[in-house]
Amino acid sequence: MGEIITAEKALWALSVLLKAGLFAMLLYRKNHRVYPYLFTYVLVTLVQSLVLFTTYRVWGFYSPTSRNIAWGVQALVIAARALAVAEICRRVLARYQGIWELAWRMLLATVGLVLVYAWAVSRPNWQQAILSTDRGLELAIAVAILILFLFVKYYEIVVETTVLYLSTGLFFFSVFSVLNNTILENWLHSYATLWNLLGTLAFVASLLLWIWAVREKQPETPSEPELMPQSAYRTLAPQINLRLRNLNEQLSQIWHVEGKRR
Amino acid sequence: MRFSFYAFFALVGVLLLLFVWAARKRTRREKRLPEARVLEECGRGHVAHLPQIRQALAETDYVYLSQKAPAFVARRVRQERRRVASAYLSAVREDFGSLLRVAKIIARLSPEVAALHEFERIRLTAVFAWRYQMIRLQLLAGLMPIPQLDGLSDLVSGLSVRMEAAMKELGERAADLASSLDGRGSDIA
Repeated sequence: MGEIITAEKALWALSVLLKAGLFAMLLYRKNHRVYPYLFTYVLVTLVQSLVLFTTYRVWGFYSPTSRNIAWGVQALVIAARALAVAEICRRVLARYQGIWELAWRMLLATVGLVLVYAWAVSRPNWQQAILSTDRGLELAIAVAILILFLFVKYYEIVVETTVLYLSTGLFFFSVFSVLNNTILENWLHSYATLWNLLGTLAFVASLLLWIWAVREKQPETPSEPELMPQSAYRTLAPQINLRLRNLNEQLSQIWHVEGKRR
Repeated sequence: MRFSFYAFFALVGVLLLLFVWAARKRTRREKRLPEARVLEECGRGHVAHLPQIRQALAETDYVYLSQKAPAFVARRVRQERRRVASAYLSAVREDFGSLLRVAKIIARLSPEVAALHEFERIRLTAVFAWRYQMIRLQLLAGLMPIPQLDGLSDLVSGLSVRMEAAMKELGERAADLASSLDGRGSDIA
């Protein structure tokens, strides 16, 4: 147990250093103008470290006051991360006006559904309500990033390498937090120390990825494609769908007719 | 252990798999033509080779051959015909894919898209992929007689011709819009 706590302290110190490094890198490369919400998120995590350090020193690690402050600050951190994810979604898809209109509605609806699901399957216990909420928000963030990449894949949209690395870091950290919180919910006391250690480890890995992502200056606005007149979509989309449907129908006929002929 | 414990693990597993699949870079095989060339080449599908394919798969030829030639020759020819049918199905899939790609490009470059059309296209793609694989597997396994491709091919060739006309119309509209905006000194969208 003692070794875990020492390792945790070392990792915690390392994570603070890396956060400060990422913060400095964003400023130095002027990427804070490109990703203002990501920059805010990093700033909030830095403030979180400072607040937690002070809180634990004053009230101790296991006091209810420390716990309340820690979870309160965590709520701010998750809100800042959600905004950073929204910023990334916007940067990737907003250039494609029509797709973005569809995507943001779908993102919001799915995030809402995920939150409802996470709430429905969580334990009806007020003590663990915060943990369940945290897990629900992490799950919603992970699903939002996944939907973004499903849109990217389907519409064959080119994603900047920086955005890919930033999203990957955010996704894996959220997914890991969901797992970590789920285990903690079941073995609350025996897992708490390891939960902290693994959580910090995952965060350090994400920080390294983000630092790598923003090591170079990014263009403030990605180039925008020249849009077609709206009438083109209205005319062609139903026509193409009709043809695809007919093609499907033909395949279906081959299948069924040949099946009968056998 | 509660059900939700396993449910979250399963959910995370699915999310991870989907993310890796969606975020991975395109392989060389998946890299495709640039947009301009896709629009330009739409309509030049594999159906151009339809007469030869029809000839190769004609039932009368096979009946004649099976009456005149030894059994092993007829069997060999039957295998070859299956291979041709399978290759042709792949080509039809390529044509389906190119139509689909045009649809995606149009959606990407449109100021507004209809969710109904977009979801319908996803559903059609999934259904096509399923049917295509089923037919192909049965053909390869020799479980299905050589299909009569006439109807299907007529449809695809009809599609290509009409799509080509639609694309031409689209190009003209885009040119009209560009010239009308030139006078006002504005950028398109």
